[in-house]
Amino acid sequence: MENKESLNLPGYEIPDELKNVVSVTALDRLYNWGRRSSVWPLMFGLACCAIEMIAAQASRYDLARFGMEVMRPTPRQADLMIVAGTVTKKMLPAIVRLWNQMPEPKYVLAMGACASSGGPFKEGYNVVAGIDKFLPVDIYVPGCPPTPQALLNGLILLQKKIDQESIRKVRWYRKGPDSVEIPVPILGPDLIDPRRIPDIKAKAAELASTPAPATQS
Amino acid sequence: MYGKGMLKGLGVTLVRFWNTYWDDAVWMWRRVTTGDKRYHSKEGIAHRSSKNARGIFTVQYPEEKLPVPEEFRYLPFLVYDEGADGKREILCTSCGICAKVCPPQCIWIVRTNDPLTGRPVPQPAEFYIDGDICMSCGYCAEYCPFDAIKMDHDYELAAYTRNIYDLEKLLKSSTYYASIRPANAAREEEARKAKEAAKSARSATHAAAA
Repeated sequence: MENKESLNLPGYEIPDELKNVVSVTALDRLYNWGRRSSVWPLMFGLACCAIEMIAAQASRYDLARFGMEVMRPTPRQADLMIVAGTVTKKMLPAIVRLWNQMPEPKYVLAMGACASSGGPFKEGYNVVAGIDKFLPVDIYVPGCPPTPQALLNGLILLQKKIDQESIRKVRWYRKGPDSVEIPVPILGPDLIDPRRIPDIKAKAAELASTPAPATQS
Repeated sequence: MYGKGMLKGLGVTLVRFWNTYWDDAVWMWRRVTTGDKRYHSKEGIAHRSSKNARGIFTVQYPEEKLPVPEEFRYLPFLVYDEGADGKREILCTSCGICAKVCPPQCIWIVRTNDPLTGRPVPQPAEFYIDGDICMSCGYCAEYCPFDAIKMDHDYELAAYTRNIYDLEKLLKSSTYYASIRPANAAREEEARKAKEAAKSARSATHAAAA
């Protein structure tokens, strides 16, 4: 196993005679090893990227080598959301609701151009220009669609990210709310993000208070 | 009899499981006799991709990679020629054809004018490609009249942030291009030489006539 000195920051002094003998972060490493070796993705696909995700799961590329083969059909058991494909405005409320239902720790991987930024549909009337407008994306995998090996590369990057985390710092063991609830977007004439409702109301009030410009009538 | 189908299916799995280890023994013998290795080697991947593969046929990705065909395309990159004194001669003239044909419009070019003469400089001042929008269609490489933008083979591009590539990240040498697409590079080189020969022949006849 490679030596990760950046992880070996216990926060208090180790006596000189014990340096290189004890490791205070052994628990962190064990914890991260356990977590990154069993990242269970949520089983859903939205478009053509899903086909590549399935290919990555099948025996040619074999996600099971990374402990990620257990695609969970319920968000309650999933750690990772692979947003594989075009996120339409109709689908987005369902995706955000699934994200809110996932327990911490949880990660999002935006797979392919459409999920990362909207891709060719970025100015479309019915497509969200990137899932990162709503969810905190951890890994972006470019490609249209990414090949199974590109997806595996992204998942290995996610494992590296998990390796860098420490029990002392992770959000879900701190006091206060363990996760940030993301308000489910409202499906309207156009998509409304509930986080912006106060702004919209303030703007509406401002417009209402100012006298309307004289229009010809 | 109930459960016959299940037993049959388990039998298939068992045979594959056995084949994996049997193949291991076969390859061990090959290693002794011919030096071929089953894993982390070209012949091993070729065997596992062929129809003769028995047992396991997984490509052990981070350690070994499936070879990509020459026409495989992922994201575009800009080609530069190495000049005499190690200077990079960018082939791109910032004409903007690639940005115009790009269906998802992920290319952004900034042109400059010469501050003294006010004429446009045939070099891009800035060149951005949003790798997260690119749909790998290859139109930019197809339409470029200067063979300055080409499709890359590198697919290991996952990142923690949005992949927006600037000039520094997009520029790759023409030797790299020739290494990933040897047949294409040779064909383009030949066409360029033929064009130059025709041009010099024409100028020679002009000179003779004058």
